[in-house]
Amino acid sequence: FRAVPDDGGLVDADEDKDIKTEASNDSWGNNNANDGRLLSPSPGSSASAGSNKSAAGASEEQQTLLAVLQFLRKNKLTESVEILRREAGLPEDSLEPKGADSLLSRVTASSTAGAQAPTKVAAGEDQPDVNVVLSAYSQQGDPALYEVYYSGLKRFIESVLDCHRAELSQVFYPLFVHMYLELVYNNHESEAKAFFEKFSGDQECYYEDDLRVLSSLTKKEHMRGNETLLDFRTSKFVLRISRDSYQLLKRHLQERQNNQIWNIIQEHLYIDIFDGMPRSKSQIDAMSGSLAGEAKREANKAKVYYGLLKEPEIELPLDDEDEEAENEEGKPKKKKPKKDSLGSKSKKQDPNAPSQNRIPLPELKDSDKLDKIMYMKEATKRIRLGPDNLPSICFYSFLNAYQGLTAVDFTDDSSLIAGGFADSTVRVWSVTPKKLRKVKSAADLNLIDKESDDVLERIMDEKTASESKILCGHSGPVYGISFSPDRNYLLSSSEDGTVRLWSLQTFTCLVGYKGHNYPVWDTQFSPHGYYFVSGGHDRVARLWATDHYQPLRMFSGHLADVTCTRFHPNSNYVATGSSDRTIRLWDVLNGNCVRIFTGHKGPIHALAFSPNGKFLASGATDGRVLLWDIGHGLMVGELKGHTDTIYSLRFSRDGEILASGSMDNTVRLWDATKAFDDLETDDFTAATGHIHLQDNSQELLLGTYMTKSTPVIHLHFTRRNLLLAAGAYNP
Amino acid sequence: MSAPKTIPKDAQVMIQILKDMGITEYEPRVINQMLEFTYRYVTTIIEDAKIYATHAKKSNVDADDIKLAIQCRMDQSFTSPPPRDFLLEVARQKNQTPLPLIKPYTGPRLPPDRYCLTAPNYRLKSIQKKVSSSAGRISVPRLSVGAVSSRPSTPTLGTPSVQSVTTKVGTPVSLTGQRFTVQIPPLTINVFTFATPSTPAVSNVLINPSLIGSKNILITTNMVSQNTGGESLKRKHEDDDDYDAL
Repeated sequence: FRAVPDDGGLVDADEDKDIKTEASNDSWGNNNANDGRLLSPSPGSSASAGSNKSAAGASEEQQTLLAVLQFLRKNKLTESVEILRREAGLPEDSLEPKGADSLLSRVTASSTAGAQAPTKVAAGEDQPDVNVVLSAYSQQGDPALYEVYYSGLKRFIESVLDCHRAELSQVFYPLFVHMYLELVYNNHESEAKAFFEKFSGDQECYYEDDLRVLSSLTKKEHMRGNETLLDFRTSKFVLRISRDSYQLLKRHLQERQNNQIWNIIQEHLYIDIFDGMPRSKSQIDAMSGSLAGEAKREANKAKVYYGLLKEPEIELPLDDEDEEAENEEGKPKKKKPKKDSLGSKSKKQDPNAPSQNRIPLPELKDSDKLDKIMYMKEATKRIRLGPDNLPSICFYSFLNAYQGLTAVDFTDDSSLIAGGFADSTVRVWSVTPKKLRKVKSAADLNLIDKESDDVLERIMDEKTASESKILCGHSGPVYGISFSPDRNYLLSSSEDGTVRLWSLQTFTCLVGYKGHNYPVWDTQFSPHGYYFVSGGHDRVARLWATDHYQPLRMFSGHLADVTCTRFHPNSNYVATGSSDRTIRLWDVLNGNCVRIFTGHKGPIHALAFSPNGKFLASGATDGRVLLWDIGHGLMVGELKGHTDTIYSLRFSRDGEILASGSMDNTVRLWDATKAFDDLETDDFTAATGHIHLQDNSQELLLGTYMTKSTPVIHLHFTRRNLLLAAGAYNP
Repeated sequence: MSAPKTIPKDAQVMIQILKDMGITEYEPRVINQMLEFTYRYVTTIIEDAKIYATHAKKSNVDADDIKLAIQCRMDQSFTSPPPRDFLLEVARQKNQTPLPLIKPYTGPRLPPDRYCLTAPNYRLKSIQKKVSSSAGRISVPRLSVGAVSSRPSTPTLGTPSVQSVTTKVGTPVSLTGQRFTVQIPPLTINVFTFATPSTPAVSNVLINPSLIGSKNILITTNMVSQNTGGESLKRKHEDDDDYDAL
């Protein structure tokens, strides 16, 4: 929690209550350090320059004294309390500290237990106030010395053994950013600028974008609206360092003059120590890049049920039963129940699969069953892809879109294509010769014969047949589109903060789901229908059900916008990719974050689960596709080749080929079976999470296909493994 | 017309800002956009500050007024998403409730009607304006549940001939009901045979011939398809326009 934001007031550098290493009270000190900042020791100076708080200098002094008073009282130093009160001339009740954010004060007030302070509001921040002040003391080195501290650390790290140097160099970036932010927060503008100029060039190249943002932040007010940076300040940057390297660092920093840096490190960094060999630079580079450092080991330890749900039994039409039985789990009616299946799927419960009723899923309607039968029929005619049997690619170019095409989706059976545009419309086209029709009006529906066989055709109004339909309703560019699996609904998410559900039978808008108040960057229906997930600028992803007007789950934890949301094939997990360069996997059942994947160096725009549910592929603005093993929580592959942002990823229907489309106007095909093939599960040093990525991108690349100046923003494999791609022609 | 030889100073400043932020590729109109935004923002702030200064009975606008103006504007227009701890707290509460069970066989799963956009968003004004097309359709008011019924008419239709017809009948009674009600004057039967200029808008309007002859008729049709009638009007128009444009 944050304490009520209030500047802690002044202090003299040699006050005898300082240097109380607040390492133990990290959570408090950390958060309050934001707000309870002290100014540079300047005896007698008044309130901090540029302070937004309305409290005058005098009251800030009072706050400090109050805090001290509370502390003394807490430690039962009653005599000191009396003396201090008398000498300072404090009234019985103190001023109300003004909180800029009443919400936060409410939160903190409710969280702290009953305090014995005289005032109500001050009582609420009893604990934090003390810690605020005290930790602020301990934090406050002389700002001019920050450069000295940093250079000292730099010299030390450059002097250690090679094997440790790579690991310890990880400390540079977070330390640099935190020190810079502290200088800015405490209004030491000139020192901050000098510090930045001197050391920003030393940082890793992949932090360049962050550094550019930082360079524009020179005042405290600049930080206020930037939620990402505020989160960065309050969260701990995670570093994974081997025990030996850590000992080295600790020993050096605990020497007399390096205390300040040690405090800062303890405050802002979380060092996840592992026993084992120190990692090499390339290994570290592969995993680093995110805004919050790497993932702690415990973050990736929860059990994830990545298996697929059992397919339900369907009464198959008699003539096709023999064909279908191979592809179907469950026991076909005519055959004897077999223990080992005909295909590769086991009849017994997959230990890695969630139980059928782990989360409630809608039951299959008759139309769904018919759909599944169609699916199975198509599956038999599916082409088996492989390195020597590449799919054909059919590209759908949107002409005259004038760079306004922002989202595309295909239905699963590839019969409809929908495009979301920057002019806030959604357009649906029919890919097959069959035109789009609306359902007849109520009066006409009464007239038709309900018992006829083609009743589903008769309910359609022929007069409204057309190749495409336009759906208007949003008031901002449409950034995410998703068809429902049963082709009845279409979801669209837009910059206006709403997610809209459209009916594809009447081509009208049914519901507008309001929850995000900020642009919603992506939305997707669950593979089983009924649930959908959306993620937006407010850094959370929400899980909704079509019949609830409020979200069912909120997945909060990212430090920056959620740019991409995908369901796992078993609908029990949701993967979210974000601008903070991490991918998180959330459990739908309880909203917990079960996996954190770091390694990308840019915001993530594409995610794809493999059809068997075990692996996740992700693409970002850095042009790399990373492959992750969900069960172990490790990176298992890196596909280099694209030169620009990757906006779409898709596995083929059986998972043999991974197709990626990017802004560099190419579609690339990668050999997924080979990429996942060499994994020996025992080989993983899961304890340390060391990965040895082979640089085999070239071998895995099966083909590169250029388009004519058309960035590829969507990919879709038809049920027969034909690859469809879509993009807007951009000459 | 020749472009000015020198770019105005403000535009140069904008170019410099873009360069400092590392943006190298941008359309030339971006400069104009930025200039416009800056001008609008600054004038709004200064105007607000003037108001605050006069309110505080000061003769000059000073820094405090500006600060206050900026702060108010920030809270109003440039809001930022909620802070992380708040989101975590809300998420924790929301994620504690178990996922609701799904009722089987319920048709389209939509939230309660109040939260849907499927209700008609118009009310028809008076019955005099009623006209029918040769197809025998007539506009009838479709009312949402619990709403007061209104007199049926459609704004798009209105021919004097109809007016005269209905006036013979007398003003229809406006009926209120809890269910969907429609009112059609009994004489509507005659109206059907009129050949009225039917615009495309009319032809899609709902009619239920079985309603003829009764004053208080229930239409128990699906909300969704009800709405089709009203909105399909607009949609049809758009489709036509679309075709023309192509």
